[in-house]
Amino acid sequence: MNYRKKISLVFLNLFFILICLLCLIPILYALGVSLNSRNDLLSSSFSFIPKDFTFQNYRAVLFEKPFLLWLKNSLILSFSTVVIAIAVAVPGAYALSRKRFPGRKPILNLLILLNAFPSILSMFAVYRILKPMGLVNNFTGLVLIYIGTMAIFGLWNMKGYFDTIPLEIEEAGKIDGADDFRLIRDIVLPLARPSIIVTAVMILIYVWNEYIFAVTFITGSEKYTLAAGLYALQATDYTRNWPIFSAASLLVSIPVLIIFFCVQRYMTSGLTAGGVKG
Amino acid sequence: MKQNKLRPYLYLTPSLIVIGLIVVFPILYTGYISFTNMNIYHWFNPRFIGFDNYAKAFFVFDSGFLSALLRTVLWTFLNMVLQMAVAYLIAVLLNTEGLRAHKVYKTILMFPWAMPGYVSILLWKMGMFNNEYGLLNQWLRKLGLNGVRWLDGNVSAFLSCTLVNLWLALPFMIMIIDGALQSIDKAYYESATLDGAGFFVKLRNITVPLVRPIIAPAVVITVFTTFKQFDIVYLLTQQQGSKTGADIHTVITYTYEKAFVTNNYGYSSAISMIIFLLLIFFSLYTNKELREGNR
Repeated sequence: MNYRKKISLVFLNLFFILICLLCLIPILYALGVSLNSRNDLLSSSFSFIPKDFTFQNYRAVLFEKPFLLWLKNSLILSFSTVVIAIAVAVPGAYALSRKRFPGRKPILNLLILLNAFPSILSMFAVYRILKPMGLVNNFTGLVLIYIGTMAIFGLWNMKGYFDTIPLEIEEAGKIDGADDFRLIRDIVLPLARPSIIVTAVMILIYVWNEYIFAVTFITGSEKYTLAAGLYALQATDYTRNWPIFSAASLLVSIPVLIIFFCVQRYMTSGLTAGGVKG
Repeated sequence: MKQNKLRPYLYLTPSLIVIGLIVVFPILYTGYISFTNMNIYHWFNPRFIGFDNYAKAFFVFDSGFLSALLRTVLWTFLNMVLQMAVAYLIAVLLNTEGLRAHKVYKTILMFPWAMPGYVSILLWKMGMFNNEYGLLNQWLRKLGLNGVRWLDGNVSAFLSCTLVNLWLALPFMIMIIDGALQSIDKAYYESATLDGAGFFVKLRNITVPLVRPIIAPAVVITVFTTFKQFDIVYLLTQQQGSKTGADIHTVITYTYEKAFVTNNYGYSSAISMIIFLLLIFFSLYTNKELREGNR
């Protein structure tokens, strides 16, 4: 490698270090604030490395707020949504990808058009239909909303990936006498793993981060999810206590960050084959 | 054999039921409400008023809808241009030969995508933009300048929102463009270099034509998500109880306010339908490659 190339690589590395820092600033700042025991935000002497290191803010979030209860609610909601949504969407996506039947094309096109309607604008109407069914203010209603909102994404995303799996493999399975259920379980699911994992994670993250339906459809903070609880609190207590808000924010983000980076290697292939994003 | 023909429908039934309930019904219901005067005073006895709500959106100038629509178009356009340019630059530089730490950089750059969106937006609001203790104003004061009330004025709030959106949306775009760049056969560049082609010639004749079809669906989707972006504008400037005074409604936050703050359901439904139609036209126009079914 010649001299000029080396110099430009040094500059390139500096550039990327700067970009990465810029990109992490809000997060690093929150981390610094949350670990600082002195509430000296108003002084202009803030530094990213806390002067008096403490976990007090984290302790306050975990034990003085209903954080653990909200965590439990978030876990219940997101896992039941993911399991049901995948169970509902995989057969549907399989049918759209592998079967040829009257109405297939219209359904596919209609789904794209329906997806154009911003889900937040349907909140009022959803409320009107779920209320008489007794599904307001309980988790079943929310799970239903989340599945419905993500179903089109799930169908299209997985259908797109199923399309890329060669038919011949299934043909072989069919000759061996496997029925659809076994074809899906033994052949399609293992081969389509990237798209199923990414779809599931996208749904999980959506539910984990969703606050506006949650605060609208749930009354009473004991049923809140983490997102709803944090959202409701920041408008009241946390504004005055920004270190605790930072601590709570980071605690809420950690599970999502871990999951996201675990599946990152599937992200490109699992998201782009279908050509739709949630 | 008959059972076989019904089977695809059977597989689709659960999906279609949920979509019918949560997506199709609300659209039809919104369409119906849009022709009535349902609001907080006519909650139980809405009256059919024809196209009045639609007329109000388009012809009553200070209804605010048209300016919100214009602002949304500007917002979408500005964000897409910035996003594409910056993401492209970063992706190209990431793919520089000899850049050993590119995986580390890429992972760090994915953070804004991985963080919960509302958390990031609130961290920006409280940590960066806050008038007293926000980091931006702390820096300005250190430089001896006066702090800026970032989220209060229309222009500065709009630009602040753009910055946050850029921060949030870049990772996805970088990932998509990076993936596309890596799929290009290096041999093209080598032979072009032999032919004496410079950087821009290679960019125009090799990179862009090869990358475009790969990233097109992702770009179209991002146009939609940018147009429909709600959280940033809402959380930064419109949140109940902590409005900043900036009026930078996009069509979505505008509709949300008409429905849930001023409770004008008939009118908000009409605007919802207008937005829906606009997005349908846009998707018919752009999504031809997605409207397949022959494969």
